[in-house]
Amino acid sequence: MNNLTVESLQLTLPDGTVLCRDLSFSIEPGDVLALMGPSGSGKSTILSWITGTIDPRIKASGDVWLGETRLTDIPAEKRRLGLMLQQDYLFPHMSVGQNLKFGLRGGTTAAREQRVQESLREASLQGMADRHPETLSGGQRARVSLLRTLLSGPKALLLDEPFSRLDVNLREQIRTFTWTQAQHLPTLLVTHDVADIPLQAKRIDLAQFEPGRPQPEATLLKPKQT
Amino acid sequence: MFRVTGAAIAFAFFLPLLFGLVGSVIPAFGLVPSIAEGNGFVQLFDDPRFLPSIWLSLKTGITATVIALIITIATLVCVHGTRLWRFLIACLPPLLAVPHAALAVGLIFLIAPSGWLVRLISPELTGWTRPPTDWVVPDSGGWSLILGLVIKETPFLLLTAAAQLSTLKVDAALRIGRTLGYAPARCWSRLILPRLYPRMRLTLLIVLAFNLSVVDVAILLGPGNPPTFSVFLLSLVNDPGSRAIASAGALVLAAGVALVYCAMFALEKLIAHIAGKRRENGHRGQAMKSLRTAGQSLVASVQVISIAALVMLLLWSFARRWRFPNTFPTEWTPDHWTGRAAEFASPLLTTLGIALMTLLLALASAIAWLECERRGAMPRLDWLWYIPLLIPQVTLLFGWQAVALFIGADGQWLTVVYSHWVYALPYVVLLLAVAWRELDPNWNHAASVLGAGYWRTLFRVRIPLLIKPVSQAAAVALAVSVAQYLPTLLLGAGRHQTLAIELVTSFSGVDRRIIATLATMQSLLPLLAFCIALWLPRMIQRQTA
Repeated sequence: MNNLTVESLQLTLPDGTVLCRDLSFSIEPGDVLALMGPSGSGKSTILSWITGTIDPRIKASGDVWLGETRLTDIPAEKRRLGLMLQQDYLFPHMSVGQNLKFGLRGGTTAAREQRVQESLREASLQGMADRHPETLSGGQRARVSLLRTLLSGPKALLLDEPFSRLDVNLREQIRTFTWTQAQHLPTLLVTHDVADIPLQAKRIDLAQFEPGRPQPEATLLKPKQT
Repeated sequence: MFRVTGAAIAFAFFLPLLFGLVGSVIPAFGLVPSIAEGNGFVQLFDDPRFLPSIWLSLKTGITATVIALIITIATLVCVHGTRLWRFLIACLPPLLAVPHAALAVGLIFLIAPSGWLVRLISPELTGWTRPPTDWVVPDSGGWSLILGLVIKETPFLLLTAAAQLSTLKVDAALRIGRTLGYAPARCWSRLILPRLYPRMRLTLLIVLAFNLSVVDVAILLGPGNPPTFSVFLLSLVNDPGSRAIASAGALVLAAGVALVYCAMFALEKLIAHIAGKRRENGHRGQAMKSLRTAGQSLVASVQVISIAALVMLLLWSFARRWRFPNTFPTEWTPDHWTGRAAEFASPLLTTLGIALMTLLLALASAIAWLECERRGAMPRLDWLWYIPLLIPQVTLLFGWQAVALFIGADGQWLTVVYSHWVYALPYVVLLLAVAWRELDPNWNHAASVLGAGYWRTLFRVRIPLLIKPVSQAAAVALAVSVAQYLPTLLLGAGRHQTLAIELVTSFSGVDRRIIATLATMQSLLPLLAFCIALWLPRMIQRQTA
């Protein structure tokens, strides 16, 4: 497993507004870095840039690395970064099992089926492969969504307020499930809710971020030698 | 009151369907010898022109629809999410507003042997100092017609698809799909198209019905011998001795269109089955830049051809001398506009009169219907409004014309307006419906609390709040009316010379420059209506701000 590293990121909106300037951080496997800030501070846009799915009208400069691999110019589908959004986005034209198989890479039909069943069992969702996503509860949907992401074999995990739409009672359960599943991956969590952040996580608060000044709990880097 | 109004609108709308059916079936079987003699089906099947013309209609209609669908999908896959997308979507409404016949004329000026494309490269690259004789437009294979239908129908399909993308949360699905490792084209084929297609199906059926049975574009761009089946039937319908065969043909065309619908549904099921199986195999696919570029070029070509065809109309309408192989006119004149103003005034005023009355009636009845629906007096009939658009115009109008003849209503101005209203109302209702239904009912409550009655609330609160969709719907109603050829021809009994009628009937015998002026005039009316529809809400907003 490799570090997920962002170097000197600057994002400028089409109207000239600078969302962030000279932002750098690195996340080690098993670590969680929380990117905090109020609405409109650019948290989700940073995530879009890292995944390679940013709106082409937004000007971006900087680099993103996964270990020694520079991802900046690699298309989104080849970056191997798992993404979870605020909504679970389970595809409504597929069953739960089909959604999971959609995430899974390679393997024979039988092996894929077996892997899906195992994952469902691990997430206490056995017997639900043929169910339609709309028949699941919010917590079940969140778990299926995370499983689908993990089955695609990501090398880092990016979470964009994944707990904010869940009921208060469910949140703790899904947080625990997520941190257990993601324990070997570098994880970037975007949130505005402090309760979402694991105790040991490092944090960057975009509201207080000043370019060039080290953040107390964020790892700042020297530029990588290419 | 609402129930009666709603029932009256529905009755007036569906009555012509009954006319169409009765007025076609009776003559087709020779049930009333005073209208038509003999069994039309026997005569039709014995006619040597039957098979070639129906084959041509099927070939051109299906090919044009398939190509338009492919270009639409290629555009979605290759252009969505790029900078070109917003520009493209902004270009579509004006292109949609241009009447089919006018665009067809512009296309002829572009692709004919003496057209602008040949002039552009002649004589430098070709050595031609005279128009080549290697091909003609319209060609015997129907490819000019296919091209004309593709460039006119692709924007319609594309706009329908684009309107659905936000409700399908396409951006998020693409993000998820791509971060799961799927190439963009795979994301579209596995995540978006299976959900988008059902929402486009009805529009696709309308396009298919139109392409299989179009008359005006087929007269201009289609081959003459044999012509397409609709044009063949039109040549028979006004001959009293051929009424039975024309009516039988109209029913055969309707049956043919229904069969093609069934074939399309069967193909859909097959593709959905195969796609469902492949969706689970986890193959990520490869992003292919060359295919993406090809897709972008394809849609750009359609746009460029459409715009170039319109530019051709404008150039020809101001040309005094434009000899082959000159790329541009060598002498210009406004005479075709000014010198013939009196000549053009009559069709222009006739067109405007019918279009404005159609617009008013369509808008009033659509608002009345939606109000009935909002107050629970009438159910939602969204699907039913499409029926006249799903039946070939020839089938509906032949029967309607027979009934109009029988009751002595043919040739009357109101009958023509009625026929235009039937074709404009579906678009107006469906355009207004979403905004009308979604307007917060609390606006009505707030007005009532302030003492406003029903009519005051409707005219001072509801309609002003919805002025943008109302203006757009009005512009569409006008555009639909201006483009109507067959309803005006058949129900107007040749007494109402609109721009569409003038353009199509005089195309082969009149100077190119006059035709261009007529076509430009016909295009300018709906474009002007769309400009007003854009400007009016802004002006009202500015006045109230």
